[in-house]
Amino acid sequence: MNYPVELLYSKTHEWVKEEDGVVVIGISDFAQDALGDLVFINLPEVGDEVVCGEAFGDVESVKAVSDLICPVSGTVCAVNEELLDSPEMLNEEPYDAWIIKVENETEREELLSAAAYEAFCAEEG
Amino acid sequence: MKWRFLDLSTTDPAFNLAAEEYVFSELSRDYAYFMLWQNRSSVIIGRHQNTAAEVNETFIREKGIKVVRRLSGGGAVYHDLGNLNFTFIRDETSSRLDLGIFCEPVAAALRELGAPAEVNGRNDITVGGCKISGNAQYVREGRVMHHGTLLFSADLGVAAQALRPSARKLRSKGVASVRSRMATLKEYLPKDTTLQDFKQLLLDKLFAGQAMEHYEWSEADLSAIEKLRLERYDTPRWNYGQSPPCDMNFVDYIPLCGTVEVRLSVRRGLIGKAEFLGDFFTHKDLAPLCAAFIGQTPNEEGFRTALEQADPSEFIGGLSREALLGLLLS
Repeated sequence: MNYPVELLYSKTHEWVKEEDGVVVIGISDFAQDALGDLVFINLPEVGDEVVCGEAFGDVESVKAVSDLICPVSGTVCAVNEELLDSPEMLNEEPYDAWIIKVENETEREELLSAAAYEAFCAEEG
Repeated sequence: MKWRFLDLSTTDPAFNLAAEEYVFSELSRDYAYFMLWQNRSSVIIGRHQNTAAEVNETFIREKGIKVVRRLSGGGAVYHDLGNLNFTFIRDETSSRLDLGIFCEPVAAALRELGAPAEVNGRNDITVGGCKISGNAQYVREGRVMHHGTLLFSADLGVAAQALRPSARKLRSKGVASVRSRMATLKEYLPKDTTLQDFKQLLLDKLFAGQAMEHYEWSEADLSAIEKLRLERYDTPRWNYGQSPPCDMNFVDYIPLCGTVEVRLSVRRGLIGKAEFLGDFFTHKDLAPLCAAFIGQTPNEEGFRTALEQADPSEFIGGLSREALLGLLLS
Protein backbone atom coordinates (compact mmCIF):
# COMPACT_ATOMS: atom_id res chain seq x y z
CA MET A 1 0.00 0.00 0.00
CA ASN A 2 1.31 3.40 -1.01
CA TYR A 3 1.18 6.50 1.23
CA PRO A 4 3.02 9.39 -0.52
CA VAL A 5 4.66 11.63 2.09
CA GLU A 6 3.88 14.89 0.26
CA LEU A 7 0.13 14.41 0.79
CA LEU A 8 -2.17 14.87 3.78
CA TYR A 9 -4.99 12.44 4.56
CA SER A 10 -8.43 12.43 6.18
CA LYS A 11 -9.78 9.66 8.39
CA THR A 12 -12.44 9.04 5.73
CA HIS A 13 -9.58 8.14 3.31
CA GLU A 14 -9.39 11.17 1.05
CA TRP A 15 -5.99 12.67 0.21
CA VAL A 16 -5.31 16.40 -0.01
CA LYS A 17 -2.56 18.45 -1.54
CA GLU A 18 -2.10 22.16 -2.12
CA GLU A 19 -1.20 23.46 -5.54
CA ASP A 20 -0.91 27.23 -6.08
CA GLY A 21 -3.47 28.05 -3.39
CA VAL A 22 -5.91 25.43 -4.69
CA VAL A 23 -6.77 22.28 -2.71
CA VAL A 24 -6.62 19.08 -4.77
CA ILE A 25 -8.61 16.11 -3.42
CA GLY A 26 -8.62 12.41 -4.30
CA ILE A 27 -9.03 9.04 -2.58
CA SER A 28 -6.16 7.06 -1.09
CA ASP A 29 -4.68 3.79 -2.25
CA PHE A 30 -6.08 2.19 0.90
CA ALA A 31 -9.57 3.49 0.01
CA GLN A 32 -9.54 2.24 -3.59
CA ASP A 33 -8.31 -1.16 -2.42
CA ALA A 34 -11.02 -1.41 0.26
CA LEU A 35 -13.73 -0.34 -2.19
CA GLY A 36 -12.73 -2.74 -4.97
CA ASP A 37 -13.32 -2.12 -8.68
CA LEU A 38 -15.06 1.20 -9.15
CA VAL A 39 -17.72 1.36 -11.86
CA PHE A 40 -19.07 4.89 -11.47
CA ILE A 41 -18.27 8.25 -9.91
CA ASN A 42 -20.74 11.02 -9.17
CA LEU A 43 -18.99 14.40 -9.23
CA PRO A 44 -20.02 17.90 -8.20
CA GLU A 45 -19.94 20.71 -10.77
CA VAL A 46 -17.58 23.65 -11.01
CA GLY A 47 -18.98 26.45 -8.88
CA ASP A 48 -20.63 24.11 -6.33
CA GLU A 49 -19.92 24.86 -2.68
CA VAL A 50 -18.43 21.93 -0.75
CA VAL A 51 -18.60 21.67 3.02
CA CYS A 52 -16.05 20.12 5.34
CA GLY A 53 -17.39 16.78 6.67
CA GLU A 54 -20.16 16.52 4.08
CA ALA A 55 -20.38 14.42 0.92
CA PHE A 56 -19.00 16.03 -2.24
CA GLY A 57 -19.72 13.06 -4.47
CA ASP A 58 -19.88 9.28 -4.32
CA VAL A 59 -18.44 6.22 -5.98
CA GLU A 60 -20.01 2.90 -6.86
CA SER A 61 -18.18 -0.38 -6.66
CA VAL A 62 -20.26 -3.34 -7.71
CA LYS A 63 -23.62 -2.77 -5.96
CA ALA A 64 -22.22 -0.56 -3.20
CA VAL A 65 -22.30 3.23 -3.14
CA SER A 66 -19.87 5.04 -0.84
CA ASP A 67 -20.01 8.74 -0.13
CA LEU A 68 -16.86 10.82 -0.63
CA ILE A 69 -16.44 13.14 2.35
CA CYS A 70 -14.95 16.58 1.78
CA PRO A 71 -11.99 17.42 4.03
CA VAL A 72 -12.30 21.17 3.34
CA SER A 73 -14.95 23.83 2.76
CA GLY A 74 -14.74 26.04 -0.31
CA THR A 75 -15.77 26.36 -3.94
CA VAL A 76 -15.17 23.68 -6.57
CA CYS A 77 -12.97 25.20 -9.30
CA ALA A 78 -12.24 22.04 -11.31
CA VAL A 79 -13.53 18.48 -11.57
CA ASN A 80 -11.73 15.59 -13.23
CA GLU A 81 -14.29 14.73 -15.92
CA GLU A 82 -12.09 11.96 -17.30
CA LEU A 83 -13.20 9.89 -14.32
CA LEU A 84 -16.79 9.90 -15.59
CA ASP A 85 -15.75 7.71 -18.51
CA SER A 86 -12.93 5.92 -16.72
CA PRO A 87 -13.67 5.49 -13.00
CA GLU A 88 -11.14 2.62 -13.01
CA MET A 89 -8.40 5.29 -13.04
CA LEU A 90 -9.15 5.69 -9.33
CA ASN A 91 -8.14 2.07 -8.81
CA GLU A 92 -5.15 2.16 -11.11
CA GLU A 93 -3.54 5.48 -10.15
CA PRO A 94 -5.28 6.82 -7.04
CA TYR A 95 -2.76 9.62 -6.54
CA ASP A 96 -2.80 10.82 -10.17
CA ALA A 97 -6.57 10.51 -10.49
CA TRP A 98 -7.47 13.67 -8.59
CA ILE A 99 -11.23 14.15 -8.19
CA ILE A 100 -11.87 17.84 -7.50
CA LYS A 101 -9.98 21.08 -6.93
CA VAL A 102 -11.30 23.54 -4.37
CA GLU A 103 -10.56 27.27 -4.08
CA ASN A 104 -11.46 29.90 -1.47
CA GLU A 105 -10.90 27.40 1.33
CA THR A 106 -12.63 28.57 4.51
CA GLU A 107 -12.34 25.53 6.75
CA ARG A 108 -10.54 22.23 6.89
CA GLU A 109 -10.72 19.20 9.14
CA GLU A 110 -7.71 17.93 11.02
CA LEU A 111 -5.64 16.03 8.49
CA LEU A 112 -3.06 13.30 9.05
CA SER A 113 0.51 13.04 7.81
CA ALA A 114 1.38 10.03 5.66
CA ALA A 115 2.93 8.23 8.64
CA ALA A 116 -0.04 8.93 10.92
CA TYR A 117 -2.48 7.89 8.20
CA GLU A 118 -0.59 4.67 7.54
CA ALA A 119 -0.81 3.84 11.26
CA PHE A 120 -4.53 4.71 11.23
CA CYS A 121 -5.13 2.33 8.31
CA ALA A 122 -3.09 -0.43 9.93
CA GLU A 123 -5.32 -0.20 12.99
CA GLU A 124 -8.46 -0.42 10.90
CA GLY A 125 -7.17 -3.48 9.07
CA MET B 1 -23.98 -3.95 19.63
CA LYS B 2 -27.64 -4.26 20.49
CA TRP B 3 -30.16 -4.84 17.68
CA ARG B 4 -33.35 -2.92 17.22
CA PHE B 5 -36.09 -4.23 14.97
CA LEU B 6 -38.21 -1.76 13.03
CA ASP B 7 -41.46 -2.64 11.37
CA LEU B 8 -42.76 -0.65 8.42
CA SER B 9 -46.46 -0.98 7.90
CA THR B 10 -46.76 1.15 4.77
CA THR B 11 -46.18 -0.28 1.31
CA ASP B 12 -45.33 3.08 -0.27
CA PRO B 13 -41.83 2.64 -1.74
CA ALA B 14 -40.99 6.36 -1.42
CA PHE B 15 -41.87 6.34 2.28
CA ASN B 16 -40.00 3.10 2.94
CA LEU B 17 -36.82 4.26 1.23
CA ALA B 18 -37.08 7.56 3.12
CA ALA B 19 -37.38 5.54 6.35
CA GLU B 20 -34.16 3.67 5.55
CA GLU B 21 -32.28 6.91 5.01
CA TYR B 22 -33.75 8.37 8.20
CA VAL B 23 -32.69 5.39 10.32
CA PHE B 24 -29.23 5.49 8.72
CA SER B 25 -28.66 9.21 9.24
CA GLU B 26 -30.71 10.17 12.27
CA LEU B 27 -31.19 7.29 14.72
CA SER B 28 -28.58 6.60 17.40
CA ARG B 29 -25.39 4.94 16.21
CA ASP B 30 -25.25 3.06 19.54
CA TYR B 31 -27.58 0.48 18.01
CA ALA B 32 -27.69 -1.76 14.97
CA TYR B 33 -31.00 -1.82 13.11
CA PHE B 34 -32.93 -4.42 11.18
CA MET B 35 -36.06 -3.78 9.15
CA LEU B 36 -38.47 -5.92 7.18
CA TRP B 37 -40.72 -4.16 4.72
CA GLN B 38 -42.69 -4.45 1.52
CA ASN B 39 -43.36 -2.20 -1.43
CA ARG B 40 -46.47 -2.26 -3.54
CA SER B 41 -45.95 -2.51 -7.28
CA SER B 42 -42.88 -0.39 -8.08
CA VAL B 43 -39.50 -0.31 -9.81
CA ILE B 44 -36.61 0.50 -7.48
CA ILE B 45 -33.65 1.72 -9.48
CA GLY B 46 -29.99 1.84 -8.47
CA ARG B 47 -28.38 5.09 -7.37
CA HIS B 48 -26.46 5.61 -10.60
CA GLN B 49 -28.87 4.33 -13.18
CA ASN B 50 -30.59 6.09 -16.01
CA THR B 51 -34.28 5.72 -15.30
CA ALA B 52 -35.13 5.98 -19.00
CA ALA B 53 -32.72 3.15 -19.78
CA GLU B 54 -34.27 0.83 -17.21
CA VAL B 55 -38.05 1.14 -17.30
CA ASN B 56 -40.83 0.85 -19.82
CA GLU B 57 -42.32 4.28 -19.24
CA THR B 58 -45.57 3.59 -21.10
CA PHE B 59 -46.21 0.29 -19.30
CA ILE B 60 -45.50 1.58 -15.81
CA ARG B 61 -47.64 4.67 -16.34
CA GLU B 62 -50.55 2.49 -17.51
CA LYS B 63 -50.20 0.18 -14.51
CA GLY B 64 -49.56 2.94 -11.96
CA ILE B 65 -46.16 1.48 -11.08
CA LYS B 66 -44.03 3.99 -9.21
CA VAL B 67 -40.31 4.42 -9.93
CA VAL B 68 -38.14 5.26 -6.93
CA ARG B 69 -34.37 5.66 -6.83
CA ARG B 70 -32.54 4.11 -3.87
CA LEU B 71 -29.30 5.24 -2.20
CA SER B 72 -27.45 1.99 -2.87
CA GLY B 73 -25.77 0.77 -6.03
CA GLY B 74 -26.65 -1.98 -8.46
CA GLY B 75 -29.49 -2.52 -10.90
CA ALA B 76 -33.22 -1.99 -11.25
CA VAL B 77 -35.56 -4.36 -9.40
CA TYR B 78 -39.30 -4.84 -9.69
CA HIS B 79 -41.06 -4.99 -6.30
CA ASP B 80 -44.58 -5.99 -5.37
CA LEU B 81 -46.30 -7.61 -2.41
CA GLY B 82 -44.82 -11.01 -3.29
CA ASN B 83 -41.44 -9.59 -2.33
CA LEU B 84 -40.07 -9.05 1.18
CA ASN B 85 -37.25 -6.56 1.75
CA PHE B 86 -34.74 -6.61 4.56
CA THR B 87 -32.35 -3.87 5.71
CA PHE B 88 -29.40 -4.04 8.08
CA ILE B 89 -27.94 -0.75 9.30
CA ARG B 90 -24.88 -0.79 11.51
CA ASP B 91 -21.35 0.55 11.97
CA GLU B 92 -18.46 -1.46 10.60
CA THR B 93 -14.92 -1.04 11.92
CA SER B 94 -13.35 -2.04 8.60
CA SER B 95 -13.87 0.10 5.50
CA ARG B 96 -13.36 -2.97 3.32
CA LEU B 97 -16.58 -3.45 1.40
CA ASP B 98 -18.16 -6.80 2.05
CA LEU B 99 -21.69 -7.74 1.04
CA GLY B 100 -21.12 -11.34 2.08
CA ILE B 101 -21.15 -10.63 5.83
CA PHE B 102 -24.84 -9.75 5.48
CA CYS B 103 -25.83 -12.15 2.68
CA GLU B 104 -24.40 -15.24 4.39
CA PRO B 105 -26.57 -15.11 7.55
CA VAL B 106 -29.67 -14.55 5.40
CA ALA B 107 -28.78 -17.54 3.23
CA ALA B 108 -28.14 -19.63 6.38
CA ALA B 109 -31.58 -18.67 7.75
CA LEU B 110 -33.20 -19.66 4.44
CA ARG B 111 -31.43 -23.03 4.54
CA GLU B 112 -32.81 -23.63 8.02
CA LEU B 113 -36.25 -22.90 6.63
CA GLY B 114 -35.78 -25.51 3.91
CA ALA B 115 -34.53 -23.56 0.87
CA PRO B 116 -31.04 -24.67 -0.27
CA ALA B 117 -29.77 -21.09 -0.52
CA GLU B 118 -26.27 -20.05 -1.59
CA VAL B 119 -24.48 -16.74 -2.10
CA ASN B 120 -23.00 -16.34 -5.59
CA GLY B 121 -20.11 -14.22 -6.83
CA ARG B 122 -22.38 -11.23 -7.49
CA ASN B 123 -23.67 -11.39 -3.92
CA ASP B 124 -27.05 -12.60 -5.07
CA ILE B 125 -28.67 -15.29 -2.97
CA THR B 126 -29.64 -18.17 -5.24
CA VAL B 127 -31.58 -21.38 -4.94
CA GLY B 128 -30.86 -24.08 -7.51
CA GLY B 129 -28.86 -21.55 -9.54
CA CYS B 130 -31.76 -19.07 -9.78
CA LYS B 131 -31.76 -15.73 -8.02
CA ILE B 132 -34.16 -15.20 -5.12
CA SER B 133 -32.44 -12.23 -3.50
CA GLY B 134 -30.55 -9.18 -4.80
CA ASN B 135 -28.38 -7.20 -2.39
CA ALA B 136 -26.83 -3.73 -2.35
CA GLN B 137 -25.17 -1.28 0.04
CA TYR B 138 -24.82 2.38 0.86
CA VAL B 139 -21.81 3.38 2.96
CA ARG B 140 -20.94 6.62 4.68
CA GLU B 141 -18.27 7.31 7.30
CA GLY B 142 -18.14 3.77 8.61
CA ARG B 143 -21.89 3.24 8.71
CA VAL B 144 -23.29 0.60 6.37
CA MET B 145 -26.79 0.11 5.06
CA HIS B 146 -27.17 -3.31 3.49
CA HIS B 147 -30.50 -4.19 1.97
CA GLY B 148 -31.87 -6.97 -0.14
CA THR B 149 -34.97 -8.40 -1.71
CA LEU B 150 -36.45 -11.82 -0.99
CA LEU B 151 -38.72 -13.06 -3.73
CA PHE B 152 -41.44 -15.05 -1.99
CA SER B 153 -43.89 -15.29 -4.85
CA ALA B 154 -44.09 -13.25 -8.02
CA ASP B 155 -45.73 -12.34 -11.25
CA LEU B 156 -42.52 -12.50 -13.28
CA GLY B 157 -44.35 -11.39 -16.42
CA VAL B 158 -45.16 -7.95 -15.00
CA ALA B 159 -41.57 -7.59 -13.76
CA ALA B 160 -40.19 -8.40 -17.21
CA GLN B 161 -42.49 -5.88 -18.90
CA ALA B 162 -41.85 -3.08 -16.40
CA LEU B 163 -38.10 -3.52 -16.80
CA ARG B 164 -38.09 -3.62 -20.59
CA PRO B 165 -36.88 -0.12 -21.41
CA SER B 166 -38.60 1.82 -24.15
CA ALA B 167 -35.52 3.99 -24.74
CA ARG B 168 -33.35 1.28 -26.23
CA LYS B 169 -31.28 3.72 -28.22
CA LEU B 170 -29.73 5.19 -25.16
CA ARG B 171 -26.01 5.16 -24.52
CA SER B 172 -25.54 5.74 -20.82
CA LYS B 173 -22.54 6.40 -18.65
CA GLY B 174 -24.62 5.03 -15.80
CA VAL B 175 -24.75 1.60 -14.26
CA ALA B 176 -26.60 -1.02 -16.31
CA SER B 177 -28.73 -3.80 -14.84
CA VAL B 178 -27.74 -7.44 -15.08
CA ARG B 179 -30.62 -9.78 -15.89
CA SER B 180 -30.82 -12.96 -13.86
CA ARG B 181 -33.01 -16.02 -13.91
CA MET B 182 -35.35 -15.76 -10.95
CA ALA B 183 -36.95 -18.29 -8.65
CA THR B 184 -39.41 -17.85 -5.79
CA LEU B 185 -38.96 -19.02 -2.21
CA LYS B 186 -42.53 -20.17 -1.71
CA GLU B 187 -41.95 -23.41 -3.60
CA TYR B 188 -39.13 -24.37 -1.18
CA LEU B 189 -41.06 -23.68 2.02
CA PRO B 190 -43.60 -25.96 3.71
CA LYS B 191 -46.95 -25.89 1.91
CA ASP B 192 -49.31 -23.09 2.94
CA THR B 193 -46.54 -20.92 4.42
CA THR B 194 -47.76 -17.34 3.99
CA LEU B 195 -45.49 -14.35 3.53
CA GLN B 196 -46.42 -13.24 7.05
CA ASP B 197 -45.36 -16.64 8.45
CA PHE B 198 -42.15 -16.45 6.44
CA LYS B 199 -41.38 -12.98 7.82
CA GLN B 200 -41.65 -14.18 11.42
CA LEU B 201 -39.68 -17.37 10.74
CA LEU B 202 -36.90 -15.40 9.07
CA LEU B 203 -36.69 -12.98 11.98
CA ASP B 204 -36.56 -15.86 14.48
CA LYS B 205 -33.82 -17.69 12.58
CA LEU B 206 -31.71 -14.61 11.85
CA PHE B 207 -31.62 -13.35 15.41
CA ALA B 208 -31.90 -16.61 17.36
CA GLY B 209 -30.16 -16.16 20.71
CA GLN B 210 -29.49 -12.44 20.16
CA ALA B 211 -31.02 -9.64 22.17
CA MET B 212 -33.37 -7.65 19.94
CA GLU B 213 -35.70 -4.91 21.01
CA HIS B 214 -38.66 -3.67 19.05
CA TYR B 215 -38.32 -0.01 18.18
CA GLU B 216 -41.51 2.03 18.22
CA TRP B 217 -41.52 4.93 15.76
CA SER B 218 -42.18 8.26 17.45
CA GLU B 219 -44.37 10.96 15.94
CA ALA B 220 -41.19 12.97 15.31
CA ASP B 221 -39.62 10.02 13.43
CA LEU B 222 -42.66 9.61 11.23
CA SER B 223 -42.96 13.27 10.37
CA ALA B 224 -39.24 13.51 9.54
CA ILE B 225 -39.57 10.49 7.26
CA GLU B 226 -42.63 12.00 5.61
CA LYS B 227 -40.65 15.20 5.00
CA LEU B 228 -37.82 13.22 3.41
CA ARG B 229 -40.34 11.38 1.25
CA LEU B 230 -41.81 14.64 -0.03
CA GLU B 231 -38.46 16.35 -0.53
CA ARG B 232 -36.58 13.49 -2.14
CA TYR B 233 -38.06 10.06 -2.73
CA ASP B 234 -41.34 11.20 -4.23
CA THR B 235 -39.85 13.81 -6.57
CA PRO B 236 -39.08 13.48 -10.30
CA ARG B 237 -35.87 15.43 -9.55
CA TRP B 238 -34.53 12.45 -7.54
CA ASN B 239 -36.20 9.58 -9.37
CA TYR B 240 -35.48 10.84 -12.89
CA GLY B 241 -33.29 13.94 -12.65
CA GLN B 242 -30.42 12.30 -10.77
CA SER B 243 -29.67 10.05 -13.74
CA PRO B 244 -26.05 10.04 -14.94
CA PRO B 245 -25.21 11.80 -18.22
CA CYS B 246 -26.24 9.91 -21.35
CA ASP B 247 -26.62 10.29 -25.10
CA MET B 248 -29.76 9.27 -26.95
CA ASN B 249 -29.70 8.61 -30.67
CA PHE B 250 -32.72 8.16 -32.89
CA VAL B 251 -32.47 7.50 -36.59
CA ASP B 252 -35.00 6.43 -39.21
CA TYR B 253 -36.11 7.04 -42.78
CA ILE B 254 -39.18 9.26 -42.87
CA PRO B 255 -41.15 9.16 -46.14
CA LEU B 256 -41.30 12.52 -48.01
CA CYS B 257 -38.58 13.82 -45.71
CA GLY B 258 -35.45 11.64 -45.77
CA THR B 259 -33.21 10.02 -43.23
CA VAL B 260 -33.44 11.88 -39.96
CA GLU B 261 -31.07 11.42 -37.07
CA VAL B 262 -31.70 13.11 -33.74
CA ARG B 263 -28.96 13.23 -31.10
CA LEU B 264 -29.81 14.28 -27.56
CA SER B 265 -27.32 14.75 -24.72
CA VAL B 266 -28.88 14.36 -21.31
CA ARG B 267 -27.32 15.78 -18.16
CA ARG B 268 -28.84 15.64 -14.67
CA GLY B 269 -31.98 14.21 -16.26
CA LEU B 270 -32.61 17.06 -18.70
CA ILE B 271 -31.78 17.53 -22.37
CA GLY B 272 -28.69 19.75 -22.60
CA LYS B 273 -28.09 19.57 -26.32
CA ALA B 274 -30.10 18.52 -29.40
CA GLU B 275 -28.84 17.98 -32.96
CA PHE B 276 -30.55 17.04 -36.23
CA LEU B 277 -28.59 15.31 -38.96
CA GLY B 278 -29.62 13.67 -42.22
CA ASP B 279 -30.22 14.06 -45.94
CA PHE B 280 -33.39 16.15 -45.60
CA PHE B 281 -34.03 19.68 -46.97
CA THR B 282 -33.99 22.51 -44.49
CA HIS B 283 -36.17 25.61 -44.84
CA LYS B 284 -34.21 27.67 -42.34
CA ASP B 285 -31.61 27.54 -39.57
CA LEU B 286 -32.36 24.63 -37.21
CA ALA B 287 -31.15 26.42 -34.06
CA PRO B 288 -34.64 27.37 -32.75
CA LEU B 289 -35.85 23.78 -33.27
CA CYS B 290 -32.86 22.42 -31.34
CA ALA B 291 -33.32 25.06 -28.64
CA ALA B 292 -36.92 23.94 -28.03
CA PHE B 293 -35.60 20.63 -26.70
CA ILE B 294 -33.10 22.14 -24.27
CA GLY B 295 -34.14 21.81 -20.64
CA GLN B 296 -36.89 19.26 -21.37
CA THR B 297 -37.08 15.80 -19.84
CA PRO B 298 -36.13 13.08 -22.36
CA ASN B 299 -39.55 11.39 -22.36
CA GLU B 300 -42.88 11.71 -24.15
CA GLU B 301 -43.99 14.60 -21.98
CA GLY B 302 -40.79 16.57 -22.59
CA PHE B 303 -40.80 15.84 -26.34
CA ARG B 304 -44.40 17.04 -26.62
CA THR B 305 -43.58 20.27 -24.78
CA ALA B 306 -40.65 20.90 -27.14
CA LEU B 307 -42.84 20.27 -30.17
CA GLU B 308 -45.43 22.74 -28.93
CA GLN B 309 -42.70 25.38 -28.98
CA ALA B 310 -41.40 24.57 -32.44
CA ASP B 311 -43.07 22.93 -35.43
CA PRO B 312 -40.40 20.79 -37.13
CA SER B 313 -42.10 21.11 -40.56
CA GLU B 314 -41.18 24.83 -40.54
CA PHE B 315 -37.52 23.81 -40.40
CA ILE B 316 -37.25 20.45 -42.13
CA GLY B 317 -39.16 19.60 -45.31
CA GLY B 318 -41.77 16.89 -44.71
CA LEU B 319 -41.07 16.41 -41.01
CA SER B 320 -44.38 16.76 -39.19
CA ARG B 321 -44.75 16.93 -35.42
CA GLU B 322 -46.27 13.43 -35.46
CA ALA B 323 -43.42 12.00 -37.52
CA LEU B 324 -40.75 13.45 -35.26
CA LEU B 325 -42.57 12.34 -32.10
CA GLY B 326 -42.92 8.88 -33.64
CA LEU B 327 -39.18 8.77 -34.26
CA LEU B 328 -38.34 9.92 -30.70
CA LEU B 329 -40.66 7.32 -29.17
CA SER B 330 -39.71 4.48 -31.51
